[in-house]
Amino acid sequence: MAEEAASAPAGTEAPPPGKMTMVAGVDDSDHSFYALQWALRHFFPPGQPQQYRLVVVTAKPSAASAVGLAGPGAADVLPYVEADLKKTALRVIDKAKALCAQVSDAVFEAVEGDARNVLCEAVERHHAEMLVVGSHGYGAIKRAVLGSVSDYCAHHAHCTVMIVKKPKQHKH
Amino acid sequence: MEQTEASAAVSGTHGGGERTARKAATALEVVVAVDASEESLHALSWALDNIVRCHPDATLVVVHAQHAVDHFAYPVAAHAVVYAPSAAAESMHTVAQEENSRRIVARALDVCKERQVGATGAVVEGDAKEAICQAVERMQAGLLVLGSRGLGTIKRAFLGSVSDYLIHHACCPVLVVRPRPTK
Repeated sequence: MAEEAASAPAGTEAPPPGKMTMVAGVDDSDHSFYALQWALRHFFPPGQPQQYRLVVVTAKPSAASAVGLAGPGAADVLPYVEADLKKTALRVIDKAKALCAQVSDAVFEAVEGDARNVLCEAVERHHAEMLVVGSHGYGAIKRAVLGSVSDYCAHHAHCTVMIVKKPKQHKH
Repeated sequence: MEQTEASAAVSGTHGGGERTARKAATALEVVVAVDASEESLHALSWALDNIVRCHPDATLVVVHAQHAVDHFAYPVAAHAVVYAPSAAAESMHTVAQEENSRRIVARALDVCKERQVGATGAVVEGDAKEAICQAVERMQAGLLVLGSRGLGTIKRAFLGSVSDYLIHHACCPVLVVRPRPTK
């Protein structure tokens, strides 16, 4: 691989050669931030030169899918729901930015859509070698009903997937 | 307490994590589950290239789950069935299995040696899912690495998936290495 001067990538497609890309999926839950912190601790140690490029992605569900009611009042509610979702996504990104202060090469994105597709598509777009996600630790029933993003990603992402679970006993 | 690890300072929001953070940052215990498939060896190579590179002091353990010898009913004659397998049949079966396990672990350790990484091998007995889960807990692993056969949803539901089970039940983060898409 030819050595090129690593410059801040204007387009997100081609990562600077020699560095691998890691996508971290975050949402508004403690589990996903724990996963992000775990990844930072192990793959972006502050002292050593960083071998990864970090892309933090949060999925913002579309207002229509979040509300899910069809009725005369739906149209009025949608703008508020949309605004709230946008606020949540921005808050998530800000929190992630604060955590990733030590990472030299980090990109933050908020993409609209279903989390599963957003993460897999982000992996493809950035040609990532690794995807890091948290896991809610749902039981089998909840998983079947609510769906599991980490499950989906583990089997459909085109790269290695790291699933970090927040241990129940350590946190208080 | 003196913060020797700067990374712990960043994640200072939760105080309880400091101790584990320092332990984890200094020595990452990586457990790689292997079987006879190519995908698990690929997972091992991936882990060696990408994980061990970032953690020069990581310890690597290669684990192979061996099926426990089942007690089959052997038909002795046309109308008689012996419940407990005869000693000879059982020992043959066990020896063959152990030989198989040893070969798999040896192959995995060879891959590690090629990359100049010291690794230890372990064979656990029993159902693959639970055995690996318990082994990970026993060893207090920091990371579990698995290959993935890339089965579709239907096949996975019927054949069962070790990686599915371990993702949800292992006590440590799980890394699932997908087979390289042929580009």
